[in-house]
Amino acid sequence: MMAMFEHLGLGLSVAATLQNIFFCFLGCLIGTLVGVLPGVGPVATISILLPVTLSLDPTGALIMLAGIYYGAQYGGSTTAILVNIPGEATAVVTAIDGHEMAKKGQAGLALGLAAIGSFIAGTIATIVIAALAMPMTRLGLLFGPAEYFSLMIMGLVLAVVLAHGSLVKALAMIVAGVLLSCVGADMETGRERMTFDIYMLTDGIEFVVLAMGVFGFGEIFKNLADPEKRDVMRGKIGRLLPTLTELRQNLGAILRGTGLGSVLGVLPGNGAILAPFASYALEKRISDRPQDFGTGVPQAVAGPESANNSGAQTSFIPLLTLGIPPNAVMALMVGAMMIQGIVPGPQVIQNSPDLFWGLVASMWIGNLMLVIINLPLIGVWVKLLKVPYRLLFPAIVAFCCIGLFSISNDGAQVIMAGIMGLVGFALYKLHFEPAPLALGFVLGRLLEEKLRQALIISDGSMTTFVTSPLSLGLLLVGAAALVIAVLPSIRKSRDEIFVED
Amino acid sequence: MSQDTAEVIQVDVPPGHPTSPAPPPSNPWLGRERIAGLSLVAFGLFALYAGADLPFRSESGVGSGMLPRALSIILIVLGAVQLAVTWKDRPESTGRWPIRDMLPVLIGVFLFAITIRGHHFGSFEVPTLGMAVATPLAVILSGLAAKDVRLGELVIFAAILTAVCIGLFRYALGLSLPVAPWLIGY
Repeated sequence: MMAMFEHLGLGLSVAATLQNIFFCFLGCLIGTLVGVLPGVGPVATISILLPVTLSLDPTGALIMLAGIYYGAQYGGSTTAILVNIPGEATAVVTAIDGHEMAKKGQAGLALGLAAIGSFIAGTIATIVIAALAMPMTRLGLLFGPAEYFSLMIMGLVLAVVLAHGSLVKALAMIVAGVLLSCVGADMETGRERMTFDIYMLTDGIEFVVLAMGVFGFGEIFKNLADPEKRDVMRGKIGRLLPTLTELRQNLGAILRGTGLGSVLGVLPGNGAILAPFASYALEKRISDRPQDFGTGVPQAVAGPESANNSGAQTSFIPLLTLGIPPNAVMALMVGAMMIQGIVPGPQVIQNSPDLFWGLVASMWIGNLMLVIINLPLIGVWVKLLKVPYRLLFPAIVAFCCIGLFSISNDGAQVIMAGIMGLVGFALYKLHFEPAPLALGFVLGRLLEEKLRQALIISDGSMTTFVTSPLSLGLLLVGAAALVIAVLPSIRKSRDEIFVED
Repeated sequence: MSQDTAEVIQVDVPPGHPTSPAPPPSNPWLGRERIAGLSLVAFGLFALYAGADLPFRSESGVGSGMLPRALSIILIVLGAVQLAVTWKDRPESTGRWPIRDMLPVLIGVFLFAITIRGHHFGSFEVPTLGMAVATPLAVILSGLAAKDVRLGELVIFAAILTAVCIGLFRYALGLSLPVAPWLIGY
């Protein structure tokens, strides 16, 4: 326990330098900006800024990128409450009751509760990360290739179980993602695989190209085909700060949301997306008046908002301690670390403790800043929301093009992302979720590497994955999750969580 | 219930007005879920073909073809399962595919890609025009895709955005992007 606070102290001393506070502020500001704007997400933003981080020092770069991610969670709720469009996927639930509150003239209260809830959640999640870091790292050091392989399989299965809609389709997306990651030079022999001698594919498909194509361009195509109605709230925002009574009424929801988010965020396979849904369902279930949900209940905003914020933060745990990215944003963080010459994994905490703890401590500072950025500056964000989409999306196209070009000073990457955008649109039309695709793609190379290492160690015997108790346990958890998800009764309640409205 | 609603709607339609356009006819054979299944099978088959030349096993165990081939087969199986599971459902249309509406964006992106650092098309050569040309091209062309486009506004916006991008990416962030080599040499 004492060690944890010592570590946090070390982290604070790193994060509180003028330079790092500046990067943290910059990250939070950019994050809020892209969170507020629907159609631009943290994935596209971080991909654009990835080449830029090359010239920064590692700690500052990671602090800034992390700030973009959790800042976007904050910004997303502003849009959800004021415009009824989730600025981010995790703010879908907030839009339901948050916007109803705004219609009743309580927009300020909804925003205030979301901000305070997120701050409390962020503070607790920081402590959770600090507390789990050492034990998780120790666990990570016990892992051999076989265990890593099984852990990733479990993570991918959990991602399927947690994804929306059809299990078969989610599973197919993961497999397709891993398959796409195989394109390019074989890591062992250097032999070209499935490249059709196209020079762009020799080094494989860049993750940033896939992400910006499917998420960036794909989203634009989707909005052009099926325009979203934007109805910026014109009424008064009203009082921002909740009274003590209101705070007390919502504290339970905030703490429950934080708990759910912290647990779900750690799961490999993007549990953070599920956290606000789970929190909403929980609040509705334990409420005295569940029939009021959907008409502007403060708890239905405070709970899910806290859940998505704590989930966003604890999703750093698998990345920082095991080196396994649980979602697309974390995969970009892997890229950012690699650029700086840091290989993510259990060794990071030992080799560069100042970076690790500095990043963790910066999250708390960042959350404090976000409250300050979001509440008094709310007028600025409302103005920003009035920028029409007809101007917003050409700007997104321009930023994406420049970002894609700067990956390797090659126009071909830009064209490839454009094609990926069409693929993303087709996926949307056919009701495939792109998130599992990205996750499969991200973990694909690591998966193959560990598979090969494990089979070399075991002399080609596949039984190595079930003879190690740790590996067997992980595979069993994955199998159990899959079986449970297929069972009809549970499937029904799983669908209910997502269809909740 | 659904019949009641249908009647109400019919009563409410004022005479002389055309009834609301029928949803695009859903093909009785295909439909969203079946297309999804077929795409998976097709993608799996394509990947099998693409990786057909790769060795399945190597001396050290896993050959470079093992994972791709295994995944392709899993994908084909999943496609078949998808087809089987949704076969009984009424095919649902995938809705509009307004590729033509997206075309300006695609052309804008393409022009950005070939003008920013130039490109050779056989004997035809596009010079390196840099961000000063590529960015407004991308912005204006993709902006044309919006149904409520206002040309004057878009052109002014493109000019401002180009200046912002050059200032931000080249000067503030220090990326070595060509700005306008034909004018200022870099």
